[in-house]
Amino acid sequence: MNTLLKFDNVDFYYQTKTEEIKALSSVNFEVSDQEFCSVVGPSGCGKTTILSLTAGLLKASSGKILLKDKPVEKNDSRIGYMFQRDHLFEWRSIWKNITLGIEIQKPQNKEAKLELAENLLKKYDLYAFKNQRPSQLSGGMRQRVALIRTLVLEPQLLLLDEPFSALDFQTRLKVCDDVYEMIKSEKKTAILVTHDISEAISMSEKIIVLSSRPAAVKSVLKLNLKGKTPLEKREDPTFGELFDKIWKELTNEEKK
Amino acid sequence: MKKKNNNNLHAMYSKTHYEYVRKIKRDKTFILSMQILLFVAFIGLWELLATVNIIDPFFFSSPSRIYTTFVSLISSGSLWTHIGITLFETIIGFLIATALGTLIAILLWWNEKLRRILEPYIIILNSLPKIALGPIIILWVGSGATAIITMCVLICIVITTISMMNAFLSCDKDKVLLMQSMHANKFQIFCKLILPSAIPEFLSVLKINVGMSWVGTIMGEYLSSSAGLGYLIVYGSQVFKIDLVMTSTVLLCLLAGLMYAIICVIEKKFKR
Ligand SMILES: Nc1ncnc2c1ncn2[C@@H]1O[C@H](COP(=O)(O)OP(=O)(O)OP(=O)(O)O)[C@@H](O)[C@H]1O
Ligand SMILES: [Mg+2]
Repeated sequence: MNTLLKFDNVDFYYQTKTEEIKALSSVNFEVSDQEFCSVVGPSGCGKTTILSLTAGLLKASSGKILLKDKPVEKNDSRIGYMFQRDHLFEWRSIWKNITLGIEIQKPQNKEAKLELAENLLKKYDLYAFKNQRPSQLSGGMRQRVALIRTLVLEPQLLLLDEPFSALDFQTRLKVCDDVYEMIKSEKKTAILVTHDISEAISMSEKIIVLSSRPAAVKSVLKLNLKGKTPLEKREDPTFGELFDKIWKELTNEEKK
Repeated sequence: MKKKNNNNLHAMYSKTHYEYVRKIKRDKTFILSMQILLFVAFIGLWELLATVNIIDPFFFSSPSRIYTTFVSLISSGSLWTHIGITLFETIIGFLIATALGTLIAILLWWNEKLRRILEPYIIILNSLPKIALGPIIILWVGSGATAIITMCVLICIVITTISMMNAFLSCDKDKVLLMQSMHANKFQIFCKLILPSAIPEFLSVLKINVGMSWVGTIMGEYLSSSAGLGYLIVYGSQVFKIDLVMTSTVLLCLLAGLMYAIICVIEKKFKR
């Protein structure tokens, strides 16, 4: 499959008053079209930095970040970002929340996007809550609304920064399944940042393991687990093996 | 919806819950009746002590004397003028201070450099007792309504600016990032995120300003005025008409309470 995103020798420094913090050190990786890719690494290693760079919210100090062979830029509409918390606006209805991006960008094909929004709500069983406030929804439903809000803008690449970490374990498994299904059926490419190894294994086709700060790519694992959903994939016989492998790489890292 | 629930209490809830709700209601009734009792006792005691001359009604007035003064003020027609003037000054001062203060806060949020430059001055202005500026205000804008409204605005505006600016700045950074990731410009970020998320703070600023604008107006009227409730209080105390002072004070209490109640209604509307 063809490459959608490519990090080519990317360095990144944060500038602070007292020092220069090197967050990324020659990061190289590729993500193919419609691939589900996870990024795992010790906390504070630079995972969020990688997503912010991809979204064009930060600019690489050196190296290249290419999306379909073109450098990413600020306000790149090919990218959708989903955060750790859903950040739904309490003062807006569900409908007003998911159409926020349309309201901001005022796209030419506005009608088509509004229709897409309506269809997504229907498809993922949230249409009945259209006029409700976010506070009336459960945590899992809120995350689905947040995902729809991102999907409505039809990005090619979805960036997910620990979107499930605020949920309790059971909801989390369920929402993982839902989100996975949504991303797959909408044929999106996704990069998921997570500190949960099992989550990474169960959801992705590729896992990028990062070293501690400054982050460099330690290894890239391609997976091909049996099963349609993340939950089913957890049953795969190689699951435990993979888990151990990634766990060792990460813990080695921390001892060093 | 709440009302409906109450009607169906027996049908919908268990006995324990019914008793629980009843207890809440009982407590509420008790507190309200104690409040009324306290008020009546206070008035009654005041009247009694004045009648039997334990306190001198010349200095302390009494409820009945306040009532008589009130009635005579109404029949002479001057009461409405005084109330009207004070109310006008307060409302105008309140509106100007709230609008202007919020506008300044928006500017300071918008421009970080400007905010940092002005920060020390705002802090000094905030800690300055604004009443000290009274004589200067009269020199600059002349005495009368303009001076009083200026005083009122000065007292409210600094705290409005500071509270609103802090509310704007305390908005969740990740939410701002989310707006940016959807390519919102600064104006959109302000209108669709910063402003709506500052509404609760705005409502509490409104409440504070109701109180403060009365302080401002009355202070202004103490300094220079020829009419208004503050004027009646100063005039009354100078000519030892304590009844007049007390009547005006009671009226002030009622008006300030009324304005506060109106704000509470607005708040409820906003909160839904
Ligand atoms: N705005 C900033 N200014 C200076 N340093 C920063 C800034 N943001 C992040 N850093 C530093 O850069 C490093 C990488 O940050 P980043 O947020 O990418 O880590 P992360 O892997 O997402 O961490 P976590 O697992 O906690 O989410 C961290 O050590 C952090 O201290
Ligand atoms: Mg992070």
